[in-house]
Formats: sequence, C-alpha cells, structure tokens
Amino acid sequence: MTTTNAPLPTYQAKDYKSELKPIWCPGCGDFGVVQAIYRALAAIGRPPHEIAFVSGIGCSSRIPGYTTAYGFNSVHGRALPIAQGIKVASPELLVLVAGGDGDGFSIGGGHVAHAVRRNTDITYIVMDNQIYGLTKGQLSPTSPKGLHTVTSEYGSLEEAVNPLLYVLAYGANFVAQGTPADMAGLAEVIEAAIRFPGFSFVNVQSPCVTFGEDDQQVKNHRATMQSLAKLGHDPTDRLAAMGLAQKYGKELHTGVFYKNPDPPPTMNALIKERQQVLSEKAPPRSRIFDRFLQT
Amino acid sequence: MGMAGSGGDGIVSAGESLISAAAYEGYHAMMTKSFGSQVRGGESSCRVRLSTARVQNPGGTLDVAIALNWEDFLKFGAELPVSGDTVVIYDSKTGVEPGQIPLVGVTPKEVFAVPIGEMARRAAGTDKAKNSVVLGLIAGWFGIAPGSIVRGLNKKFAKKGPELLAANERAFHLGEEFAKEHPLATPRAMAPPTSSGSKMLTDGNDMCAAAAILAGCEFFGGYPITPSTEIMQFFTREVWKYGGAVVQAEDEIASIGAALGASFAGKKAMTATSGPGMALKTEILGLATIAELPLVIVNVQRGGPSTGLPTKPEQSDLFQAAFSASGDVLRPILAPTSVADTVDVTVEAFNIAEHYQTPVILLSDQEIAQRKETVDPIDTSRFTFIERKRPTAVDLQSYARFRMTEDGISPISHPGMKGGNYQGAGIEHNEQGNPTASGKVHAAMNAKRFRKLAPLQRRRDLFRIDGDPDAPFALVSWGSIAGVCREAYLRATAEGLAVKLLVPWLVYPVAEEIYREFFGSVRAGLVVEASHQGQLYRILRMYVDVPRGVTSFARDGANPIQPGDVVERLRAAALALQSPPSAQQIACEE
Amino acid sequence: MTDKTRSIDLANISLRDALDLAVLVEEEAKDRYEEFADQMELHHNPEAARFFRFMLAIEAKHESRLAERRRGLFGDEPRSVKREMIFDIEAPEYDEVRANMTVRQALGASLQAETKAFEFFEAAAGMVQMKDVQDIFTELREEEREHQALVRQEIARLPPEGPARDDDDEIVAL
Repeated sequence: MTTTNAPLPTYQAKDYKSELKPIWCPGCGDFGVVQAIYRALAAIGRPPHEIAFVSGIGCSSRIPGYTTAYGFNSVHGRALPIAQGIKVASPELLVLVAGGDGDGFSIGGGHVAHAVRRNTDITYIVMDNQIYGLTKGQLSPTSPKGLHTVTSEYGSLEEAVNPLLYVLAYGANFVAQGTPADMAGLAEVIEAAIRFPGFSFVNVQSPCVTFGEDDQQVKNHRATMQSLAKLGHDPTDRLAAMGLAQKYGKELHTGVFYKNPDPPPTMNALIKERQQVLSEKAPPRSRIFDRFLQT
Repeated sequence: MGMAGSGGDGIVSAGESLISAAAYEGYHAMMTKSFGSQVRGGESSCRVRLSTARVQNPGGTLDVAIALNWEDFLKFGAELPVSGDTVVIYDSKTGVEPGQIPLVGVTPKEVFAVPIGEMARRAAGTDKAKNSVVLGLIAGWFGIAPGSIVRGLNKKFAKKGPELLAANERAFHLGEEFAKEHPLATPRAMAPPTSSGSKMLTDGNDMCAAAAILAGCEFFGGYPITPSTEIMQFFTREVWKYGGAVVQAEDEIASIGAALGASFAGKKAMTATSGPGMALKTEILGLATIAELPLVIVNVQRGGPSTGLPTKPEQSDLFQAAFSASGDVLRPILAPTSVADTVDVTVEAFNIAEHYQTPVILLSDQEIAQRKETVDPIDTSRFTFIERKRPTAVDLQSYARFRMTEDGISPISHPGMKGGNYQGAGIEHNEQGNPTASGKVHAAMNAKRFRKLAPLQRRRDLFRIDGDPDAPFALVSWGSIAGVCREAYLRATAEGLAVKLLVPWLVYPVAEEIYREFFGSVRAGLVVEASHQGQLYRILRMYVDVPRGVTSFARDGANPIQPGDVVERLRAAALALQSPPSAQQIACEE
Repeated sequence: MTDKTRSIDLANISLRDALDLAVLVEEEAKDRYEEFADQMELHHNPEAARFFRFMLAIEAKHESRLAERRRGLFGDEPRSVKREMIFDIEAPEYDEVRANMTVRQALGASLQAETKAFEFFEAAAGMVQMKDVQDIFTELREEEREHQALVRQEIARLPPEGPARDDDDEIVAL
C-alpha cells in the first residue's frame, strides 16, 4: 500500500549536492535557493552530468559549485551569453543560469532582453537581494530609491530596476518569483521553469543577511508573501501579470506571473529544422572551397 | 590597374568582372577595393593586379589608371599612384583636356580622354553600362581575356534578362572598338597565362570562414564590425549544413561569450571582430585562458585607435592581442600573410587552440580579409585536424579537470560526459576546478598555463624563412605587408644584395630560438610593418637581442608600403653599415 | 502545515510510511545541523559549531532508533516517502543562524525547530485516520515536547552573555 501519488525519482536531491561547503554567510537566503534547486532537479531526474549550470560573479554565482552538475562560474554579467552558447552547441543538455541582481540587471543587463527574444531553452534564476553583498554592501540595480549604503551615504538617487516587469515586457514566455521562505513553492516554480520549453525566468527574493535591510529578511517574507495562485491570478494573462509585477518592491508575490499557454518554438527547435533542411544538399566539408572556383 | 569613380559608376564591379575573367583564364590576380565611408553612393576604387606569375601584393605605381571623374580619383591619393609609366584613361565628360589632368608632379606615359558615359548611353541607353565600356577598353588595349569577360557578362546578366545582357555586350564592344581605333603608342598586351586551368577567386574573410568549417568549427558567435563581418556572413550561409550554428549576438562580449560556451560544451568555436570589438572581448579572452578552453578569435585589423579607419588596413593591434589582459596571460597569435595562406593559418589556429586548450588570436588585416586573390585549388586532404585531448575511462574514475601533467595539458571533459563533471571558472582553481585563493596553487596553475605553450616556440613550420642562411641583410615582416617584403626580397636579391627574409605565422609568443638563429648572421635589416610604432619590432626586442643594424620600418596604416620603398631602405641600411656609427635604432617615418 | 510536505496524503498515511516520514524528519534535521556546524566552523564560531554538532548527534540517535523500529516492523520493504517530499519539518530554518551567533542564539534556533516539529506532529496526529499511526504521531509530538523542555533548561543554565561578536574583521570575500 502506498500513500503517495508522485512518481518515484531516479535521482534524489542529495545526488545534486556537491561536497563543496558554501561560503555564504550563515542565514543567507541562497542556502534555501540551492536546496530548492536540488529538489527541482531531483523531480526532473536528469543525471547531473547532463546538466550545465552557468553563473556570473557575486555571492549567488557560487551556486553551480554547490551542485554536482557541470558548472561554469564565469565572469561578471556574462552567464547568459555563455549559457546560450552551450545550449545552441549542445541542445541535449539541461542548461541552468544563475546569478544576482547585479549580474543580471546591471553589468549583464543588456543580455537579458536578447536571451528572452532568442528563446533558447534555458532557465535563468536570479537571486535578487537588492544589494551588492560580495563587495560588502554597495547599491545594486534593485536597491530601493533612497537606500543608504556605503556607496549612497545620503541615500540612492535612482529608481530601482523592476526585474519582473522588465522581463515580462521583453516578451518572456515564463516568468515566476519565489522566496526561500517558501522552499516548497520555490522548488515548484523552478521545476516548472525548467520544464517550460524556452527561456524561463525565476526571480528569487533571496535576502542578504549581512547587508540587507532588517525588514527584508526571510522572516518578513514568511509574514508578507502572497501566493499568486491563491490571489486567483491567471498566469496566462500577460497584462495581468504586468499589473501585479508593478508591485515589485512593495508586495511579495510568489508563484507564476506568466506562462505562455502556447509557447513558440525554441531557438533550438528552429536551428534543428534549419540544419536538417540545409544539410541534405550540402557538399562534404572537404569540398567547401569548390564554390570559389571560377567556372 | 587602378580605377576610381562614384559609387553608382560600378567601377568595383568592373574590377570584379575583370579579375574573375582573368582567374578563369588561369592568370594570377589580386584585387583590392577602397571606399569612402558613405554607406551608399560614396567614392569607390579598386586596384587589380594581373600576372602570369604569383602575385604577392597589390603592387606599387599603376600601369593603368582609370578615372570616371577626377574628384573621386584624387581622393584615393597614395592608394592609386600614377607614374611616368602609367597609361591614364578618363571620361572626357569631365571636360579636362588631356594636357591638363590634375595630377601634380607627374607626366603619365599616355593619356586618353574617352567619352565613356556617352558610349554607355549609346549602347545601353543608360550611364549604368559605363563599367562594361571600361571592360571593353581594357580588353581592347591590353588584350586581357575578352572572351572570358563576355562570358562573365553572360553569367552576370543571365538572370536579368536578354535585353540588359545585349546592351552590356554592345557597351563592351564599343569600348573594345574605341581602343582598337586609338592604339597605344607603346603597345602593352598581357602575355597569355602560363598555367592553364581555372583558379579560385576569393578573399581572406571567406577563406577564413571556409577553413574554419573545414577544421570542424560548429559554432560561430559574432557581431557586425568592419572589416570582419563577411566571416559571420559566410557562416550564416554555410555552417548549418554541417550541423553547426551561428548566433549574431547583442554585442561583442556576448558573441565571444556564446562561442566560449560552445567550446565548454565540447564544440570547436570561433568569433571574429576588429580592434574595437577586440577591446570588448578582452574579459572573456581572460576567462578562456584561465578556464583553459579552446577558442579561435579572429581580429581583422583596421586603422585605430578606437573607431579609427574602419575600411583601411593597419597592423596596430599586435600589442592589444599580446598584452590586453588582466593577469599573466600567454595566448598564441597567428597572422596569415595572404588570402591563400589564410586557410593554412586558420586550420592551424584551431589545431593549436584544441591541442593546447587555449584561446588563439588570428590576426588578419583589412587588406588580406577583403582583397580578392586567385588561389590554386586546394587539396584538403593535406590538412590534419587536431581534437582536444579527452579523458580516458581511467581518467574519469577520479577525474580532475586541471590535473597537473608534465606537458601542462590536462584531459578535458564536457557536459554530457559521465564522470567528467567539473566546475569551469574564471576564479583561480585547484586541479579539481574548485575555487582557491592559495598563492601556491595560483603559481602552479600559472606555470602550467605557460608551460603547455612552450613547444609552440619550436614550431619551425610556423615560419617562412628564405634566402642564404649566412646573409648579412635581413627582412622581417608579417601579415599583409609580408607580401610586399617578399617582392622586395626578390628584387633586392636580383640586385645582388645578400638578403634573407623571415615571415612568421606565429607572431606571439616570440619564438626566441628561431629569431636568435636567424639574426645570427645579420648585420643590418628591417622589420617592416604597417603601424606607427612598429609593434612587432618592439615585441621582438622584448625577447630577442635584435642586431643594432636591424631597424624598424613602420608606416601608419592606409599609407601603403611599396616593395620599392623597402628595397630603397634596405640599400640605405647596407650603406650605413659601411659608414659608422650606425643609423638610429628606430627609424620613424616622417 | 501544508507547506511542510508535498505529495503525501497525511490523512491516509500508512504506519510504514508514517515511520519512514519520521525517520526522514530526523535525517533532515541532522543534515541541517551538520550544515550549520560547517557554516559556523567556516566562519570561526567554534562555540556555536560545537552546539550544532551536539544537536546533530542527538538527531542521528533519534533517526537510528526510529529506523530500527521501522525495520523491525516492515523489514526491507521499499520506502515510498522521499526526502524531497518534506520541507524543514524539524530542521531549523536556514535564516535562524548568523555567523556571529552566540550559543544562546543557537539554542534558540533549536528551540524554534523543536517547536515546529511539535506543531507538525500535533497537526498530523489530528488528521490521520488509523489508530496505530495516530499513536506514532502522538508519541513523536510528545518527544518534541520533551526536547523543547530540555532546550529551555539548557538556555536557562547558560551564564548571562554579552553582545554578539563584532564582525568588523571578517575576511573580505572574493
């Protein structure tokens, strides 16, 4: 007799956990995020060696090293281009990208729109903590206006980036948000994002325990988070999603903001189609110079 | 032969028809194009050099100069030099009398004012047929491939309808007849080609892209930038056929990032750019070095700094290629010297990148990249293609991606390979790939990354050395200027000067032993290159005791160096040897 | 309470699965204490690390005791409850710890975890249908109650302590 209804996974969460011990500050939100990722990967069940996990620079970008997947802890802001190169070159791989808000919306901000429109089948997880933690507490692109930090002694003068609204406006087909305060919910949206065919984006409100605001910690998330599903949000309605996304920074919504019910073909699918059509009438590589002969 | 006109005159297209016909006949040929910076309708010019022997460079002063209007012709200045031996042909519509042509300080051999536009209108009812008239004049006066030119016109206009074809044929024949009715005072007909059989006609960019695909490149990441864009264009047409893909990225950084990602995934990958794009790619280049990933980066050099001279050649990105990096970096730099050897050098770039798990910079330049050149058909079976060293089953039992090995080369896995899982990183790492801040590990890893490239410096096959090994005079040159020096070397040798020539494909790291040996007998010579500083000369002096008599002959890009210039300076250097003290170490161009 | 498990039908859970669940709850807590101990060691807080290792040992003992009981009743029958189905039932929350935490604060984190576990088993005992499962959950609930009392006692026995360590000298991260 069984009392469960889930299919038994071949891989367990612990199979995705590496032996490397995280250097994150005790209490960091990212501990919960990596746990959620282990669980999402276990639910999907791809062997670790078929996963490529790319990151940039920042506290959160250490995350690939804490998994048993192939990891690439690259340079600041460039995780997305590298990940897309991997996915285009080897479409059979499961490709994950992770980084912080600085990586994704400041130094690498220019890459996000293009990752969206290129629509390779990758999942981008941003650990958004509204601060530069690794360099010890400077303003980040998602820091609220007026925030006092070591680089904004008298308060920041700039509006915060709204990652959810940006990515929705870029035309992303899957946009979700989570928090380590609800690890189960977070694991669920990450799993859904990975399963989604095409570029998917998960913004994780992952507080910085050392430099973050006291009223923005995981404890506060537990008290204030609101599940989009419970609010009755229709995740196939992009405009409604954008309406809710406007509340970024004021309210903490968790779950799927938008999921295209009819996803367009991924870039990988289009490439495959093109390769098949064109390779049929191709001369062998060894005859590649023949076209230059004057006939 | 040099010709210039406004963009709409089709003067470049006339040059293309001419060189294509010549290649079909079996002539050796080279064509360079030059444009104003207007996207459409600016001045344009081309130089075509035809020969029965191999053509090494675009040549010096013109035998034939064709001006559809003088204003445009003069804009090209030193690129279209007229001498006392030149036959000048121009459109009489310009209203200039043959005795009054606006060329200062030179009296051409012969001058013809030809009603080119009028003949075009008569034959075709439009000015657009001017280029066909020009082709007729060339065929008529110099006997160059009339049959093949007409054949070429047939091919070109086949799709555009019989009327247009007939009109252009009429224009061609009008030109041909005009030439026959006004013969040259000194006839100059081209000798027939010595080799029979059609040649390839292509440029450096196309050859680079084709050679990359031949070498097994399956991924290209690019961003449009003059003068390298044709490489990406070739890939976008062809690479899919071989299971590969192209990403035109959002910027230069993303394009090399994607290429590096593809390499991490185990595929041969390439990106191409020019100097300003190279500046942006630098951060990922560093990542490729520390992550020990194979990658070929093409820099088609143009004049700099910054936007500089986008459409003109220069060899001023060597310092950038060698030294633009944070940290201690050694990355191989290869330079092709012609359209033909671009194939060999590109295949070699992939082989070195794969074998040594390193980024390799292929330093081409605008001239090689965009000039059209005849190339003998290539037997691709002569190439070998190297693949990166993969871990064996035994390696995978306790795999360490950056394992310390004697030759510094560690077997490299890629995602999908079971047991090969590792963390690639821009951060310093231990043998397993895990981050470290240990000075000891850092020193060992730096040593490994340098050690593995040491054998490259002994690769004599990456150098072309000609002449008597004991010769006291020497020429060293690289890239497109090497072709100029090769001709200078032949001329100086013919003059009786005991000179030898060294041309590296491997520009960096400096092959100290090879240069030391080469310079052993040398008392005077020149390092010839197209830059203000003489970058190769200065890099050589960093590593090698360059003899005092060997000086830099460097000229800023877009100021062509002619073989005659080189010979002249070589003679002067030889003379200076007899009258000490020797000339100053660095002879700068005034 | 529903956010603590996924894909487990608590109301209809079998005795075997209930025991497996209990084992996994202890295993999860044990793993978390180990992580915490590692974190504290990495951040040069040996006192807190020692306490978390102590808790690790206790949870390990509970785990093996429960596992033994399960084996006695059900032998090697396969498990259908998996670690992925539970979320921090008795494991202290990740955000309960700090690099410079005192032992008193570490005990506080434990107390929070024991309280959570108590609440879980109490709710679970109220939901289940079968008597034997209800007994198990009630028993586990009572154990958690004892643990809470023990931790409270420990806290009371601690000498009064000053403010938390000042972290100005923390190494600059990479």
